[in-house]
Amino acid sequence: MSALYVYGVVRPGHPLPAGARGVGDPPARLRVVGDGALAAVVSKAPPDLLARRRDLVAHQETLLALAADGPVVPMRFGVVAPDRATLVDRLAASLDTHLRALERLDGRLEMNVKVFPVEAALAGLLRADATLRSLREQARRRPGYETSVRLGEAATDALRRLATTAAAPVLRALGAFAEAVSPGPEVPGCVGNTSFLVPRAAVADFGAEAARRTAEVAARAELRVTGPLPCFSFADTGTAAEAAPAPAGPPPATLAGRS
Amino acid sequence: MTVATPYPDTLTCAPRSGTLYDVIDIILDRGMVIDVFVRVSLVGIEILRVDVRVVIASVDTYLYFAEVCNRIDLEADDRAQSLPNIRGGAKAPHPPVRHRAAKKVKKTAGSGRKKAKKVKDTLTPGHHRHHHHEHHHDDDGGDE
Repeated sequence: MSALYVYGVVRPGHPLPAGARGVGDPPARLRVVGDGALAAVVSKAPPDLLARRRDLVAHQETLLALAADGPVVPMRFGVVAPDRATLVDRLAASLDTHLRALERLDGRLEMNVKVFPVEAALAGLLRADATLRSLREQARRRPGYETSVRLGEAATDALRRLATTAAAPVLRALGAFAEAVSPGPEVPGCVGNTSFLVPRAAVADFGAEAARRTAEVAARAELRVTGPLPCFSFADTGTAAEAAPAPAGPPPATLAGRS
Repeated sequence: MTVATPYPDTLTCAPRSGTLYDVIDIILDRGMVIDVFVRVSLVGIEILRVDVRVVIASVDTYLYFAEVCNRIDLEADDRAQSLPNIRGGAKAPHPPVRHRAAKKVKKTAGSGRKKAKKVKDTLTPGHHRHHHHEHHHDDDGGDE
């Protein structure tokens, strides 16, 4: 009886990706555990599991491969079932919830958009912003740690505001391609982090629109589009996911409740 | 490994093979959790997310941008005085100001940390952001 690392929940018969490697060193072999109505993709849990680069990559790439073949409810990194019997038990206990989630995610993928400030916009901000210029004058008259931090903080804030404002209409436009929108976790340096639940058929259009809009605002905001991904941000029915269209403003940067 | 999809690669961007920083936030904070199962990795994840080096880096960032502000010549033409020039161009892999800023921060790490905590998430300059992140994971995955 040994602990099982759980990657995600799939329908029975979902193919295991060829060549996919699980967590651990050496990488554990993937297998499917289920009772007929539902299946979980698992591997033997390494005894010393931490958020290692190696294991995070294994988790990410296993789920990417699984999502290519059909709906998958991805687990958050690091979920371990004490043993096979307990896992099968839990799957059966929430059978309806899982089946509904698979139904909801079938034919959909997640697209993630992160917004970053653009450093090259600083000269323009200095010209436009008298407060910033005055802080710079102070820093030049009395050079030192305090004046530098004040100036740098004001410059950083101005760049962040500019990027947030520039990205807002882009995120709204991308929301039109999505069935649901979910604010992502707070990321250092990032002024916006938004995930979109996009039907497979609309992924190409989403990407084209994102590329066009990203180029338009490039002088003020750097938009990084990642996907298609497994639907991490839409896995739980009760999570932050909200119905499209996208929020009017930039999404609030929230730290997800870690349980 | 990328997802085998019929979509043109130029339009969307699957996370590059072996890289994490594109979606590490989502893998750690999103996805289903089964309540009764242990998440044995919480300690490791906390270390990864709330690393003191990240906090220091935010004051480092302020000092870096103060320096960039100071070097911008508002009289000069925008194009003549582009930021890559200000930052030392391709000669140095990291702008010299960065090193000075980092040293200063180390000296005043105490007050810096306090200041940074107040602001929490701050802007990190593009290529440095990646640099920091990679550092991060390298340290964490040093057993590979």
